[in-house]
Amino acid sequence: MVTTEKAVKRPGAKAGQSNEFTLITPLKPGGAERMRKLLADGFTGDRQKNTDRIATVHDLRFVIFDNDTRVIFASTYDGDWDSYMDDFATIIPDELDLLFHECEGYPGARNPNFKEWLVQNQVEALAFYSAYPDASVRSVWKALKTKQALDGLLDAAN
Amino acid sequence: MKGRATKVMESQIEARMPVTDATTLDVSDIQATVLRPRPRPYKGEYVILRIDDVAQGREMLRRILPHVAPADEWWRPSLPGWLGIAFTYQGLKALGVPQSSLDSFPEEFREGMAARAAILNDVGKNSPANWEYPFGTADMHVALAIYSKDDSSLETILERARQSHHDLPEISVVYRLKFSELPEGRNPFGFKDGLHNPHVEGSGAPVHPGYGRAIKAGEFILGYPDVLGETATSPEPELLRRNGTFVAFRKCHTRVAEFRKYLREQASSPEEEELIAAKMVGRWRSGAPLVLAPEQDDPKLGADADRNNRFSYADDLQGLKCPFSSHIRRVNPRDALKNDLVATDLHYFLRRGTNYGPPLPEGVLEDDGADRGGVFLLIGAHLKRQFEFIQSQWVTDGNFISHGREQDPIIGNANDGGTYTIPKRPIRRRLHGLPQFVAVRGGEYFFMPGLRALGWLANLDS
Repeated sequence: MVTTEKAVKRPGAKAGQSNEFTLITPLKPGGAERMRKLLADGFTGDRQKNTDRIATVHDLRFVIFDNDTRVIFASTYDGDWDSYMDDFATIIPDELDLLFHECEGYPGARNPNFKEWLVQNQVEALAFYSAYPDASVRSVWKALKTKQALDGLLDAAN
Repeated sequence: MKGRATKVMESQIEARMPVTDATTLDVSDIQATVLRPRPRPYKGEYVILRIDDVAQGREMLRRILPHVAPADEWWRPSLPGWLGIAFTYQGLKALGVPQSSLDSFPEEFREGMAARAAILNDVGKNSPANWEYPFGTADMHVALAIYSKDDSSLETILERARQSHHDLPEISVVYRLKFSELPEGRNPFGFKDGLHNPHVEGSGAPVHPGYGRAIKAGEFILGYPDVLGETATSPEPELLRRNGTFVAFRKCHTRVAEFRKYLREQASSPEEEELIAAKMVGRWRSGAPLVLAPEQDDPKLGADADRNNRFSYADDLQGLKCPFSSHIRRVNPRDALKNDLVATDLHYFLRRGTNYGPPLPEGVLEDDGADRGGVFLLIGAHLKRQFEFIQSQWVTDGNFISHGREQDPIIGNANDGGTYTIPKRPIRRRLHGLPQFVAVRGGEYFFMPGLRALGWLANLDS
């Protein structure tokens, strides 16, 4: 029997059900400048809403370094990224392409090699800490909603 | 090589079914098992063979090939029985399939289901270490699935299967499982089953009311474009993959007495027991869906094939009728996840499963030790984003419906400590300490080739 490790193992460190995802790739010539323009407003407005829809991403950041030649994409997310990546690539391919298309060799979200490209450029964290390793984005949202409702109830009872 | 199955002339056509889908698939090359609904009532047997000699394996295949049924006119209940055949990775190896071809199969198939245990949540009691022989070993090579209307058709086909290898000493039968329909088409828990299947685009018709839109054929059969617009490029060669597909086979023992006892403990009346049971399944015992019959069972609705599967979750976005976590809403969410980033069309399979074992008599709350359950026979072109996705995410996870780690109440594996959430106003009800109601006793991945591909496999030496 083949061991499970080989089949299951994707790069990325795990803490509870939280995972870290760190991608480091070279940028296309002039890519750094175009990315700065694209992300000037950060994750606000529609971009915030679209990212919220994923509902498993705790945070994410882009860091340009090495004299504008490389970029780090780092994120913390819930569960297996692998499982829903086909769904994301099907529903929001344009949003994914916008974020990554300055990366050297990026095949596009509609390309069958999209997931392979991510894996190839992923670098596993040496160590990964999470203050709430078992709380998913959805459970945090739910807890905040519950707390708000409870506060409202307590305030009304004052 | 053309497959041929005994056909009985029968003029019985389900006339009320509108023919709305032209046949664009090469149904004469696709195995009947892929497209044919089970006979009603059904009988049958799964037989697993091991091949210890390449030449004898191919000889067996040459002999059995003329009896493998094609899917022609699959919607007409015109066959008294049919034989399907499929191979594990080990089986293809034992038949001497070239290494380059073996290597071209998807990873999950090459590894086999047992190796995927961590992904599939086959841990604890469901762990492959606890599976029945020969599941999880390299001894499973060829699976025969015989579906029939009655005992005599079953015997006829079994005899043909036996003839294909009885004088070949290097072919051995390593496993047999007989199955038959339980009264009223119920599963061992007492629920009518087999009510939903996706409609395969281009398979010829008729479209069953409630099956929804036709799904791209490449989701279920290799050689056609799938939902992503891609046509499979593996396995190689093209002749081997064309009109073939993959099968996830799982033998699941059902703990019916546990189920009944748990309902008794949680409810204060027989009516409440039925309600809790229906809330867990998503349908009443008759098959009537909760979305259409939220308060009590509606046996007329359950029996009406035109209505019992015609529903969506659009009017139940709070899950007040059919809980988010119920079995049928998890494994087939229809439109329930349409506001999430979930491409539901990527996650379908055809269900050709059956039930086995005797029913536990009504009212019995103590286990009688009999083995009874269901065989899941799930067919699709993409094991990974179909069976494995549904099993690992929608059955095992609760986060996608904001239910934390809650699992499927019926087929989940929460080590006897599951919870189950029933949305309700003003506050939800949550059940605790859910026992494991279904125990996986074995499973494997198979490749089910088209008929020409079977000929290729049988004649690799010439």
